[in-house]
Amino acid sequence: MDLRVDALSHRYGNLEVLSDISLDIPAGQVVSIIGPSGCGKSTLLRFIGGLERPSEGQIIQRGQPPEGSLNPLTYVFQDFALLPWRTVAGNIALVLEDHGLGSARQDEIITNVLARTKLSEFRDALPKQLSGGMKQRVAIARALAVNPAVMLMDEPLSALDSQTRELLMDDLIDLWARERFTAVYVTHNLAEAVRLGHQIVVLSRRPGKIREIITIETPLDARRRSDPELASIEERLWSVMRDEAQAADLELVDG
Amino acid sequence: MADTTHHSLGAQTERTAAGADKPHSAGEANTTVRYRGGGFRTHSIFWVGPVVFVVLIAVWEWGTQTGFISNLTLPKPSDVLGTFGELWRTGTLFEHLIPSLTRFAVGSAMGCLAGVIIGVMIGLFSHVRAGLVPVVAAIFPIPKIALLPLFIIWFGIGEGSKYALIALGTFTPMVVATYGAVDNVDRTLIRMGQSFSLSWASIVRKIVLPGAMPGIFSGLRVSLAIGIILLVAAEMLGARRGIGAYILEAGSLYDLERLFAGVIILSALGVVVNFVLGLIEDRVLRWRS
Ligand SMILES: Nc1ncnc2c1ncn2[C@@H]1O[C@H](COP(=O)(O)OP(=O)(O)OP(=O)(O)O)[C@@H](O)[C@H]1O
Ligand SMILES: [Mg+2]
Repeated sequence: MDLRVDALSHRYGNLEVLSDISLDIPAGQVVSIIGPSGCGKSTLLRFIGGLERPSEGQIIQRGQPPEGSLNPLTYVFQDFALLPWRTVAGNIALVLEDHGLGSARQDEIITNVLARTKLSEFRDALPKQLSGGMKQRVAIARALAVNPAVMLMDEPLSALDSQTRELLMDDLIDLWARERFTAVYVTHNLAEAVRLGHQIVVLSRRPGKIREIITIETPLDARRRSDPELASIEERLWSVMRDEAQAADLELVDG
Repeated sequence: MADTTHHSLGAQTERTAAGADKPHSAGEANTTVRYRGGGFRTHSIFWVGPVVFVVLIAVWEWGTQTGFISNLTLPKPSDVLGTFGELWRTGTLFEHLIPSLTRFAVGSAMGCLAGVIIGVMIGLFSHVRAGLVPVVAAIFPIPKIALLPLFIIWFGIGEGSKYALIALGTFTPMVVATYGAVDNVDRTLIRMGQSFSLSWASIVRKIVLPGAMPGIFSGLRVSLAIGIILLVAAEMLGARRGIGAYILEAGSLYDLERLFAGVIILSALGVVVNFVLGLIEDRVLRWRS
């Protein structure tokens, strides 16, 4: 299933947030979205997943989600959004319970996704017992449990320390190599965008417009942190973004 | 200290080792950094409460024994204890305690349950909120005791009017606490529920209600305390049995021992209610960090 963002614009009252965004999200690819703070990245992601309606334009879905996808458009949130009163398994069960799968099937899915995210031992732990990195792995396991067609990730690693971020990034790349999931990956971090994106969409400061789309051919699993090609792409992205970020930084928040 | 942390970095070790004795050579005294992070955080010290009680009662007993405190102003604690013994032996204790506990249980159960239900509805539906919040705000400040005559006309002089009084008194704080608690449920969790296409009922039952539990429990503490106050008030104004009636009778006879015995029962009731609530809370809210 492919997604297409079609001529999307949005305003909150007088505040123009996004302006004429068109974008393709082909199946099996990760599209990174970067842009200065407040340019509307999270807003765009909410539109793509249908949590909010844009003032103009639309999101088009091409083709059907894969057989057995319980929730085709699935989010991974920056702050994990785990229910503190449910265990790891309970948090995953939460998103399965409404589908009437029967407890055996449900259990099987939970066991499976926990194994895929290396969380099997923590099945009965409460979120308060987990580190930030593990909480985000639980959130990723929960997303995988519904067998999504597209994962919508809003700065999933920003709340984590940099070492944990590296580890989780490797996990995500492994996961992609195995499962070829489709994702929209919003981030502030250029290195993350370059390591994980097949396409990198650079948004301008608010109102967010597409400044540039960069395609990287190197397969995700072949990218090395020290790769000079990636470094030069990162350099180029920074030169595009620097002015935008600077200008965005100087704007009044509700100006 | 400096050379142990740098032991693996050959070149640097020498430099820090050379510089390490500098601070000492100037003849300055070493002082530890003053700790200033204390206070502003309470922790439970289990024995202080009982000790304060014991000391207060001991001073009181001593004062009344020696005549330092006139026995017209305060009864002797030992006499109050004697009264308790008598209450127990004659069975009068339960004659008064059972009706009181029944009224308290029935009245506050009705009030709190209705309060939680209405509070959740206010929290969930804009129309209910717009309609009921002003009504609740209007009822809240009325001293409910003033309404007892009205309830007696409506529900009779018997148990009905007392249930109604306690129910209404616990209802309003429970409503306010509950809708506040629902409003305070983490919006990102609700958004998460929506993003996984959970049904409305699932979101309410599995996300909103558990998330509102901490607020509901603090509402319960307040409401049940108000319930005890109203229980006594109702029993003072129209009952032959019950702790309130017992206290009123003792008071009108200036029987200070029995008055105190009654008051102590009430305060014990408050402590027990709080304790039981604390136990339930610990179990239900185990997930809190
Ligand atoms: N519900 C809303 N109502 C009004 N304004 C909003 C709303 N949501 C977002 N905005 C405004 O829209 C702009 C874009 O917000 P958004 O959160 O999408 O930015 P972002 O690119 O994700 O920023 P960040 O990098 O800080 O996460 C901001 O100026 C924000 O204040
Ligand atoms: Mg954002």
